[in-house]
Amino acid sequence: VKRGRGIWRSVWEIFPLSSSNFAFSSLSPSDSDSAPVPQRRACHAAGRSLSGELLLSGGGAPQQARGGGPVSPCVSVCVRDSVCFRVFDHVNAIPFRSSKELLLQPVIISRNDKEKVLIEGSINSVRVSIAVKQADEIEKILCHKFMRFMMMRAENFFILRRKPVEGYDISFLITNFHTEQMYKHKLVDFVIHFMEEIDKEISEMKLSVNARARIVAEEFLKNF
Amino acid sequence: MSKNTVSNRFRTVDVDEYDENKFVDEEDGGENQLGPDEAEVDSLIRQGNLMEALQAVLKNPPINTKNQNVKDCAEGLVLKVLSAFKSSDVEKGVQSLDKNGVDLLMKYIYKGFETPSDNSSAVLLQWHEKALSAGGVGCIVRVLTARKTV
Repeated sequence: VKRGRGIWRSVWEIFPLSSSNFAFSSLSPSDSDSAPVPQRRACHAAGRSLSGELLLSGGGAPQQARGGGPVSPCVSVCVRDSVCFRVFDHVNAIPFRSSKELLLQPVIISRNDKEKVLIEGSINSVRVSIAVKQADEIEKILCHKFMRFMMMRAENFFILRRKPVEGYDISFLITNFHTEQMYKHKLVDFVIHFMEEIDKEISEMKLSVNARARIVAEEFLKNF
Repeated sequence: MSKNTVSNRFRTVDVDEYDENKFVDEEDGGENQLGPDEAEVDSLIRQGNLMEALQAVLKNPPINTKNQNVKDCAEGLVLKVLSAFKSSDVEKGVQSLDKNGVDLLMKYIYKGFETPSDNSSAVLLQWHEKALSAGGVGCIVRVLTARKTV
């Protein structure tokens, strides 16, 4: 399955142990894994200086200059800060909301009114919800199906929630158990990477759908 | 047998309410916090004195009031000031604030993200970046853990 491949590869990177205990061991981890990671880190470091130009140039253009630049350092710092938690209780504080003192302020970071990221933290977990940009009907359908595909396999994904939070398209719930088993910085990197990739994936899928539709229509109309 | 076994009203008592260690938000009176002075800030913006406008708008933050209107007004004013700054001046603006000012600015920035309008997010992202380099990661953590928001 070609779609979403970039995302699955980075999911593998989170696990420090061998791929045997990982559900998607069918993906070969050997092909240039080291390349994406340093690239992303350099991007984050350079993101600070990049973001200035990106903002100045990309303010108006809706399609091309969808710079993940300015938003990513912003989101990554937030997620990194809220990912420092400890074992407190078996009950996740966020969905249950039993005690006020265990919850942090929810924080939203938005690029415009359609795309935003909601980060709700607590003493033992953090919930990151992403609203993906959907410009037209077909992007809406593609996004919806793609998210559903992943959320149905949420058990294997570990940090994904089966249902997104109201008003958003997909939600991650990262708990203290997850941070004990997985590298924290990798988790953060994964979420950022996910955000950046999702736009690209959806555009790619849209292009391929259009291309296929064109070919099918051509073939069909050749009969006439 | 003790008297208690006759009635079972004790079953409906919410024990958590009487817990001594129960966390209660401090509610100190915030009735006299009116938020930044609108007229003053507007006049400073019109004069083009943006640094002063920034200082003025960060005075009297409506942290303790329960009145949502005051908070919304304050937020709108801050957004106006932030958008009035030129991109190159943003850094100087941040430098002119002290530590508490940077924290407060960060709170307003995150508040502003919640209601994105035309260009507000781009402006806010710029300010966020500069405020981050001035305040560091601790600034963001203070926003996340603050019990009283602006």
